[in-house]
Amino acid sequence: MGVLSWIIFLPMAVAFVLLILPVGAKATRNGAFGVSLVIFALAFYVHEHFALSAQMQFYEQYDWIKSYGITYRVGVDGFSLIVLMLIATLLPSAYLLLWHNERSKSYWISMLFIQSGISGTLFSLDLFLFYFFWEAMLLPVFMIIGLFGSGNRVFSTLKITVYTIMGSLFMFVSILYLGVAHYYEFGAWSFALSDLVRISTLTPMNQTFLFAGFMIAFAIKIPLFPFHSWLLETYSTSPTGGVFLLSSIMAKLGVYALVRFTMPLFPDLFVAYARFFIGLGIFGLIYFGIAAIVQDNIKKMLAYSSASHLGLISAGVFSLNLQGLTGSAFLIVAHAIATGGLFLLVGVMQRHLGIRPLSALGGIAKRAPWFSVYFAVMLFCTVGIPGTNGFVAELLIVLGIFHYNPYLGILAALTVLVAASYMFWVFQKAILVQSGNDVSQMRDLSFHEIVGLFPLAFLIVAMGVYPDFFLAKITPTLQYYLDTILHVGGKV
Amino acid sequence: MIAFGCVALGAVLLMLLSAMPKVRMEHCSLFAFVTLLIGLILTLASFGELFTFFPLPKFFHKMVIVDSYSVYFDAIILSGALVTSLIGTHYFQAKRHFKKEFFSLFLFSVSGMMLLVHASELLSAFIALEIASLSLYVMIGFQKVHDKRVEASFQYLVLGSLAGIFFLLGSAFVYAGLGTTILGEMGNRLDTLMGKDVSLVTIGATLILATFLFKISAFPFQNWTIDVYDGSSLPVSAFMAATFKVAIFGFILRLMLVDFDPIRDTWDTLFIVVIIATLLYGSFLAIIQKSLKRMLAASSIVHTGYLLIAFVSIGYAGESAASSIIYYLVAYFLSAMGAFGLISYIAADEHVRVTYEDFRGFAHVHPYMAAMLSVFMLSLAGIPSTIGFVGKFYIFTGAIEAGYTFLAVCGVVATFVSVYYYFKLIALMYFYPACDSDWKDVPSLKGITPLTIGLIAVAIIWGGIGNTFIAYFPGVDFLIDTARLSYMSLFIK
Repeated sequence: MGVLSWIIFLPMAVAFVLLILPVGAKATRNGAFGVSLVIFALAFYVHEHFALSAQMQFYEQYDWIKSYGITYRVGVDGFSLIVLMLIATLLPSAYLLLWHNERSKSYWISMLFIQSGISGTLFSLDLFLFYFFWEAMLLPVFMIIGLFGSGNRVFSTLKITVYTIMGSLFMFVSILYLGVAHYYEFGAWSFALSDLVRISTLTPMNQTFLFAGFMIAFAIKIPLFPFHSWLLETYSTSPTGGVFLLSSIMAKLGVYALVRFTMPLFPDLFVAYARFFIGLGIFGLIYFGIAAIVQDNIKKMLAYSSASHLGLISAGVFSLNLQGLTGSAFLIVAHAIATGGLFLLVGVMQRHLGIRPLSALGGIAKRAPWFSVYFAVMLFCTVGIPGTNGFVAELLIVLGIFHYNPYLGILAALTVLVAASYMFWVFQKAILVQSGNDVSQMRDLSFHEIVGLFPLAFLIVAMGVYPDFFLAKITPTLQYYLDTILHVGGKV
Repeated sequence: MIAFGCVALGAVLLMLLSAMPKVRMEHCSLFAFVTLLIGLILTLASFGELFTFFPLPKFFHKMVIVDSYSVYFDAIILSGALVTSLIGTHYFQAKRHFKKEFFSLFLFSVSGMMLLVHASELLSAFIALEIASLSLYVMIGFQKVHDKRVEASFQYLVLGSLAGIFFLLGSAFVYAGLGTTILGEMGNRLDTLMGKDVSLVTIGATLILATFLFKISAFPFQNWTIDVYDGSSLPVSAFMAATFKVAIFGFILRLMLVDFDPIRDTWDTLFIVVIIATLLYGSFLAIIQKSLKRMLAASSIVHTGYLLIAFVSIGYAGESAASSIIYYLVAYFLSAMGAFGLISYIAADEHVRVTYEDFRGFAHVHPYMAAMLSVFMLSLAGIPSTIGFVGKFYIFTGAIEAGYTFLAVCGVVATFVSVYYYFKLIALMYFYPACDSDWKDVPSLKGITPLTIGLIAVAIIWGGIGNTFIAYFPGVDFLIDTARLSYMSLFIK
């Protein structure tokens, strides 16, 4: 077993052991945190030994279901590496922030299972395996929201489950169709990505349908307009950990899978529909931005603002040049850190103050300075203030889109600012200004939380000031995507 | 075939034994169990080999056949019966109105099913079908404290007999058209007749198909299913849903693959309509049910729809579609057995009803049972890491391979609807606080029944992820390979 398999299966194995052992919630939490540190160490090892090239590295392959050529094959390239580092950094922080929040054993066990699921999805290079993890990842999320959510949680759990499974089932049919096409063309079964990209017998009509099958699954997960209707309910009923996972990790995995699978499988369509998806992304950026402004609940507002940014990320992916693609990869990281941090902070606030509308907040800065500082850093990153990684990422994406089409670029540039500026207003109203509302219950961050958020805040600034260091390992991969897969070229 | 003899002999012996006052019910149950176990061991002895022959040709005159195919189905049927008797142990002991004869009927029914998959002639198939069905009619109505048992029994008897008549009429037509009712020979004669008018045979075969559709409860013959399953005692429902369906498919696959192969295209359109209607109507029925047992009954109709997708794909993707049916039968058999078995265990006490609402907060009182039930639901819904997922994978792959992508999409839509009614149970079990008063009567996990159910749950997960990591332990590949082998044995001349 290689490093990647360890990263995938260690949390799962520990979860099973903890599930069977008669240990309490605290021991389980400590175990889960320990596992997340080990995973971080492993991820760091991968990062250090990652050679500077576009090749798949740390490759592992075993037979799984031989009769259908289904294999267990995993590997990382530059793009998955950056997402891996992101997840490995975020999860320990999240555990520290949730430290006192959740007192149930099954919560931490579900978190461990989710960690396995996301790593599996990230590394899979066989579509069957990918689908396996993609769906299996959903079950612990289902449990976390259903067990620990608030409000009408059962309904919203069923809704998100049915919704996402619908999307993934269409993708499933597409995957099977590709497998069969491969069988008919080459006389052997295979579901490996590297084999399926060689299929040449598909008619344009079929390709479009298959492409749509994949896109629906990813668009629901991301979510892209108009597949977002699960978003609001799920985010507002989920517990903090659930929202954190959905917004800062799973949504990003949707974008990741889009690049990993649809780009090489349907390069022509990817290029052909780029304009459409950029438009859709920018529309989402505006639409969700407006939706965020009118929310009176900070969690709902963050939900929409997160969706708004994901629109921008998707637009960057489809801009078909290195700036846009790099910007998207960078914004995936930046936004995951910032939104993740914000949701975790809101979770802390909710623990102290309960669920409150925005109008019942105010003057928190005085009672909780650490909280407010961290909140401000995350917020600046989300808005894209120069000096944060959000700025670098958004700038790159806008440049990329501009490169693709100046008009769309101007539109994106304008809306990025407008759609995010309301965040200041929220910050001012909820945190800074004394409003006469009673917030005496609010306490500042505990030591755990301060330590937990520090890496995130550090990364935001470090990546903003010195982005080249973080981009070095990803650029060859992205260049390879553009040159070899999409054949569109593109320079920095 | 020896296995069949063993079970049939056991049935007769048990019938005689049960007349003795000294023999108690536990003895009968044990006797039935041992008989089935011996039968299974005898079957497994020749499992996984490729062969075909007619036993005692002078005596039976090609009315029965023994090949890898029938042995494969024997193994499934016998395991099904064994599991039924294991999960039923607790139930039968808790409900005192089961009599000793019940087990004799049970064995008769099993022997009928085994004979059905061995049948190589339409009339011996009919006899086998009736042996199995008649025993089932009585088994359904056995627990006479309930009016609905008797009602279910009669409903099934009347409708089932009507369906049986179609079979006879169909056989007569086929005989008129071909001059033989022996499988294999029918196919050969049909081949020589190709290009001429074969409408008599087509009509006959269609009538036989109607019986088949009735027995597997496909649209438009599905109406009896919910009432009969609901009316029967739970182990009997499980037996019908999982095992009987296997036997019926076993025979009809043989008939369609070997004999009616030349005229199979005739039914393509018909089947597509039947499949879509079955999936749609079954899903609709399953959504509106409040009782868990009725939901499982309705969802069995949907699963019939999936199986029929593979069935219609056989014409163009023979090998993989046929083995996908066999694989899916195993997958469904395990999941349904587990679900019915566990519910029968929970509901062994008459006071516990089994509606969705009754399971509110169940997981907090009985975590292990809830976990097992969740596994069964996930497998029925076809979520990855369960055998149900792999089963669906084969069926849909086969359909796409055969060019029926549209049907695969229909199947996928039905799957996605099914997520709702299966996940609803999981949500109710886990996401509500326990109302503990209702669950005092549920027995704790002790004895052979929960052990069996637990093993089924493990088997379901193993079937979903099992692979070549552990050598020499049968996993997914083993099941597919043996299914393919049994398919090949049909075509040995």
